Amino acid sequence: MNVQRRTFLKVSAGAGFGLAFRLHAFATQQTAANFEPNAYIRIDSDNTVTLWVTRSEMGQGVRTNLPAALAEELEVDLDQVKLQQAMPGSRFKGIRLRTSGSGSSSATFMSLRRAGAAARAMLISAAAANWNVEPSSCTARSGAVIHAATGRHLRYGELAAAAAKQPVPENPPLKNPRQFRLIGKPLKRTDAPQIVRGTATYGLDVRVPGMLIAVMERAPFMGEGVAGFDPTKALAVPGVRHVVAIKSGIFGGVAVAADNTWAALKGRDALHIEWLPGPNRNFDSQEFIRKLEAEASAETPGYPIRRDGDAGSALANASPGQTLHALYEYPFQAHAPVETMNCVADVRPDSCELWLASQTPETAHQSAMRMLGLPPEAIKVHTTLLGGGFGRRLFVDYAEEAIELSKAIGKPVKLMWTRADDTRHGFFHPASVEKLSAVLGEGGTVSAWIHRSVGSDLSMFGLPSPDERKDQQRYAKDESPWGAFDTPYNFRHLKIDYVPVNSPVPTGSWRAVDYPSRVFGRESFLDEVAHALSKDPLQLRIDLLAPGDVLTLGEQEIDRGRMIRVLQASRSRSGWDTPFAAPAGRLGGRGLAVNIYHADSYMAQIAEVSVARDYSDIRVHRILCFFDCGLPINPAGLDGQVESGITWGLSATLHGKIDIREGRAVQQNYRDFAVMRLGQMPAIETHIIPTENPPGGFGEHPVPPVAPAVANAIFAATGKRMRRLPITPERLQSSMSRTEERT
Amino acid sequence: MADPQTATFNLTINGRKHSVSADPEMPLLWVLRDLLGFSGTKYGCGVGVCGACAVHRDGIAVRACQIPLRDAVGHRFTTIEGLSDAGDHPCQLAWVEEDVSQCGYCQAGMIMTAAALLHQNPHPTDAEIDAVMSDSVCRCGTYGRIRRAIHRAANGVAKS
Ligand code: FES
Ligand code: FES
Repeated sequence: MNVQRRTFLKVSAGAGFGLAFRLHAFATQQTAANFEPNAYIRIDSDNTVTLWVTRSEMGQGVRTNLPAALAEELEVDLDQVKLQQAMPGSRFKGIRLRTSGSGSSSATFMSLRRAGAAARAMLISAAAANWNVEPSSCTARSGAVIHAATGRHLRYGELAAAAAKQPVPENPPLKNPRQFRLIGKPLKRTDAPQIVRGTATYGLDVRVPGMLIAVMERAPFMGEGVAGFDPTKALAVPGVRHVVAIKSGIFGGVAVAADNTWAALKGRDALHIEWLPGPNRNFDSQEFIRKLEAEASAETPGYPIRRDGDAGSALANASPGQTLHALYEYPFQAHAPVETMNCVADVRPDSCELWLASQTPETAHQSAMRMLGLPPEAIKVHTTLLGGGFGRRLFVDYAEEAIELSKAIGKPVKLMWTRADDTRHGFFHPASVEKLSAVLGEGGTVSAWIHRSVGSDLSMFGLPSPDERKDQQRYAKDESPWGAFDTPYNFRHLKIDYVPVNSPVPTGSWRAVDYPSRVFGRESFLDEVAHALSKDPLQLRIDLLAPGDVLTLGEQEIDRGRMIRVLQASRSRSGWDTPFAAPAGRLGGRGLAVNIYHADSYMAQIAEVSVARDYSDIRVHRILCFFDCGLPINPAGLDGQVESGITWGLSATLHGKIDIREGRAVQQNYRDFAVMRLGQMPAIETHIIPTENPPGGFGEHPVPPVAPAVANAIFAATGKRMRRLPITPERLQSSMSRTEERT
Repeated sequence: MADPQTATFNLTINGRKHSVSADPEMPLLWVLRDLLGFSGTKYGCGVGVCGACAVHRDGIAVRACQIPLRDAVGHRFTTIEGLSDAGDHPCQLAWVEEDVSQCGYCQAGMIMTAAALLHQNPHPTDAEIDAVMSDSVCRCGTYGRIRRAIHRAANGVAKS
């Protein structure tokens, strides 16, 4: 089955519509003393307000921003709201619990505001009826309804039972943003006190009575299963209880369950496993990338993504001095969250309980139903805090392994992945190559832009069938690839194609999914074009976005005017028009890149970089991030997400890649899959350009512009165009001897 | 029957004695997490490169994944749960105040590393903070806030 990725990953504005329906569905289910206007909220007679959080907390602040949206409209204090993590199944049947597409806060934000406003209206009606006054003469504040004229007031808890009998308003009036107490104010994370005391519970911290701990040896070569194994030595390790072949997960393997983690690890070391000989023992990621490059330059047609004018003829008729071509390369990348994959499963003959850090608990729920043949109500899925998600936890391979294991041994078990398991057996961000060509026009214009994007389908969603592949519009209809499809610039002739080249490597969504590689190509190449035209790269972008109109692409309405305003702000507040002063003895420069994320957030980043004269060292000094993401729900959380996303982008720009040799991922941990460290961090400045547009998400948005902004700054500093990630001093030095790196 | 590979050890953790019977080679990390239930000390890599498992040994930050049980005897260990009674160590307060955490998973290790740094050097410069804290990984990228929180905590340490 091939899920349409965009609809799966991206939250559309209507994603919270389930709530309106629930407003009625739940009015009948409450007890006499409680008020449950919908599945998300309960007000108890003791004044407690409970909010069921329908997204996973992985650092993006849902357990802060969602209660704030509710508390704002319901008129209660933030600390009055108790949080419960929503569980898939009866109460939330049919309601999305998946956390992806950077939409966690934005999608549920309006739903919760409406839910809070409806509940407030019902509480006010209940109080007004009690006092026999007009509802309009009453106000709500801090968890109570007040009748100012007579000085009377009733706590929500006292009103709960009566409020439940009030009709549910269809369109409750929302608060005027000018009266917000919480939304738009900097809020601190609600989980912070537990986190700093070490009492916050992540998946790996779950313990249930009688639980064993297991690790698993997974098939080292892609696509190979277990031919046979000898458990004798493993079972001889003190504390080891079971050794079981497991078919679930990405490629299956053998699990060792023991009294503690150490015994399980020692038992695994003692295993002897024969693997089935598979076809992928020679797979090599370097060779694969060469293949992508060949496809990028091939004449074969790709899937058409965008067509304006006739770019092909424009290119064919251009004189050689008028054209520019370049290839950009993005390697395989791992997610590498600090909390490795894990799941606690307790499978009984007629029930199953799971505890896991997941971005998609409903998928784990469905897996358990399918694997165990149990009805939905027999399965409970508890979502813990996530020690990082980044798209990796949209897949539940690790839960399926744990379910199979617990069923086989008849005991509750925590299956945990080691760091090396996690680094080597991920759903990697696919390697990709972008080929870009431009025809330069008269008077510093760009007359044609041709982008041929070569990458892979994400195997975590299932590969398209041969029939599905026949549909030439399948990618364009899905508004893919992100960053190519939604190219915002106004070119007279525009041609964008996509060429999928699949490999045996498991691939999945990474932070910002398709955007990082496509935006790296698009924004680096635009910088090349600006230099070829002797134009200021910032001004060229503004010119190409003129007249600031709205570009409608599929379901997206890209407001070029918003992007222009962000660029203008970044020019005036960054010192863009003055030279960057590098530290003495070093070469320095500024680089710019922009991206529009699904038409709802508009971002420009400016990187300030210096390079040692012998290119032995690259230092990013500062990244300025300017953006309009609509109404900022929580500016403090937003700053944090920008810092987080930029750090992620820098890790990919300067350090990270996964190599696959002889069918195995080479890297094992943070030593060889390096990520940014504190001492390498630039200053990060966030400049929000607030607008009253609906709030856009922002967890992923800061990632894509980082690499091109840094690469463009390196070009400004050195005149060297770095078209492959990661950009390391070694690669920069090897470009030193060449005048042109590659064209 | 007693397992020949198991021995009994007396450990001092957060000011209290704990008797543990286990493989002498078992890393302190698993002793803490699996046997004693101190789950605030996190697993991130098991090979000493991430710092998620940082604890204090006699006041110095060490990596629990790198200390075999047999070497843990005779020292006083502090975990994040024992850093303060009420969650009010200057680092804990500063971490909340600066809103450092994203996913939060790495932060117990970060706080333990920072607290030991401040114990030895109550007013570290940025360069001194970088030198010590660059051995720890935060995949969520909270580094700027960690640095700010350490400076804030340093002022708190100085005041108290
Ligand atoms: S778990 Fe000990 S340093 Fe990573
Ligand atoms: S806060 Fe997530 S790893 Fe540091």
